[in-house]
Amino acid sequence: MKIDLKNLTIEKAHESLTKGDFTVTELVTAYLDVIKEKNKEINAYLEVYGDVLIQAKHAEEIFQNGTATLMTGIPIALKDNMLFEGHIASASSKILENYKATYDSGIVKQLKNEGVVFLGRTNMDEFAMGSSTETSAYGNTKNPLDITRVPGGSSGGPVAAVAMDGALVALGSDTGGSIRQPAAFCGLVGLKPTYGAVSRFGIISMGSSLDQVGPFGKTVRDAEILFNAINAFDKNDSTSIKMEDRIKPSPLKKKIGVPRSFLSTDGTDRDILKNFEESCKKLEEAGYEIVDVSLPLIKYSLAVYYIICPAEVSSNLARYDGIKYGLSSEEQKLYDVYTKSRGKGFGKEVRRRVLLGTFILSHGYFDAYYNKAVKVKEEIKKELTKAFEEVDAIITPTSPFMPFKFGEKLNNPISMYLSDLFTVPANIAGIPAISIPSGKNEEGLPFGLHIMAPFLREDILFTIGKDFERLI
Amino acid sequence: MNLADVKKLADLARIDMSEKEMEEVAKDFDPILAYVSQVQEVSDGQDLSVKNSEDHFLHNVIREDEVTNERGEYTEKVLANAPDTQDGFLKVKQIL
Repeated sequence: MKIDLKNLTIEKAHESLTKGDFTVTELVTAYLDVIKEKNKEINAYLEVYGDVLIQAKHAEEIFQNGTATLMTGIPIALKDNMLFEGHIASASSKILENYKATYDSGIVKQLKNEGVVFLGRTNMDEFAMGSSTETSAYGNTKNPLDITRVPGGSSGGPVAAVAMDGALVALGSDTGGSIRQPAAFCGLVGLKPTYGAVSRFGIISMGSSLDQVGPFGKTVRDAEILFNAINAFDKNDSTSIKMEDRIKPSPLKKKIGVPRSFLSTDGTDRDILKNFEESCKKLEEAGYEIVDVSLPLIKYSLAVYYIICPAEVSSNLARYDGIKYGLSSEEQKLYDVYTKSRGKGFGKEVRRRVLLGTFILSHGYFDAYYNKAVKVKEEIKKELTKAFEEVDAIITPTSPFMPFKFGEKLNNPISMYLSDLFTVPANIAGIPAISIPSGKNEEGLPFGLHIMAPFLREDILFTIGKDFERLI
Repeated sequence: MNLADVKKLADLARIDMSEKEMEEVAKDFDPILAYVSQVQEVSDGQDLSVKNSEDHFLHNVIREDEVTNERGEYTEKVLANAPDTQDGFLKVKQIL
């Protein structure tokens, strides 16, 4: 039978797999066929794993045993910074071109237990540094909705894989907006969970105090199911939150905050603001009260981010030295092995950010930049926490601009960095946030609505998200 | 930021870069540093050791320093990724 991948959801797939309408192997083969047809142009996948059909057989056995869960046999795409034992994970960098994972990341381990089928690893900005997937060492990924435009980033590969129907769902990572902005650019749902909700063990680090793994799906429900499957304590991640410390859902106030003064700053596209007002009206139709919230400090989130993140990048990337693994330049002296391997192995944006972080952490500037940023981060967190005493959630557009063309922002770092304007406060505060499609413009390019909720209240995002989705 | 500053950073970060690129970096850094300097506008005055109460679940987890695997259990797997090895060790170039 021909499987309708365009309209397939996890629950529909599960039902069909349970009833025997199609087998896991047939489902996986349908996705592999799409990848074969479309990946050459889109470049979402860097590699389709060689053992996909073996994984599918294993999932079929789980179905036969009668122990299948919703995730069993679901074909998903991984981002190239997630370790899957025995498979390459390169963070889309030359320096890790041949690096083979020696262990499973926490999320892969959990999903393996449920018999998920990992189709392959997908493209990203090198070490997740970028908002367009143009900094990858392995070429651009194209936006499946308009191939002249970027898919967003840094999780451009995973989002494009789902948007081209080359995977049912996918996992990305988000340090400043890297799941939510590409979701908005490709018309999908993307969730960044609470910092500490999902294991970071075995995820190639960028900014450790901000990184978080989360799902992409066509629907809020798909994102919720995949999130539930990875939402677990992991003893191997020192920032993982124990299950007994997690906040239980409580009833909603049905009140949503809009930070009006933040929206009017920094030149957000007029079409985006117009679409946002329409989204507010839809939420009112759905029974939510929309109120203004004053958040004078969140506009500093992006500046805080571009201090803390490069600082952590420069420390995290010190491990790539040409000695233990990865690209190694053949030299006579050890110092030259370090400098030449790193010089050749890292791309331009990575080199720039490592140097920026080195500067920020250097003697004489540490207090003025890094320490100050850490203090402001705490103030922003407090401000948002206080706002959530009055409202269930805070909404903004996801991106201040529409999916842009290749090369448009690559040579202007500040302009590229502004991509994260609305998404980065959630990383700074450690709170969960989701992007949900909110319609399309005249050219058919998608808009995204961004919703933030208090610590560990992903349930609020799913509730509001589903109410909103019904009205789109 | 001038070329000499960037050269020093590149040396500290152990990254070999062309002079042309270092000049570009010097030029790029000024607007970035001007942008991030906004944080100076925020008045704080709080003690860094004071964390938000909501953060109670985020703390460093310290564990006993105990061996959890067999000796050599992962050696082969880990060294398989190394560029140069000898007798179960990583091999490095002359240091001085």
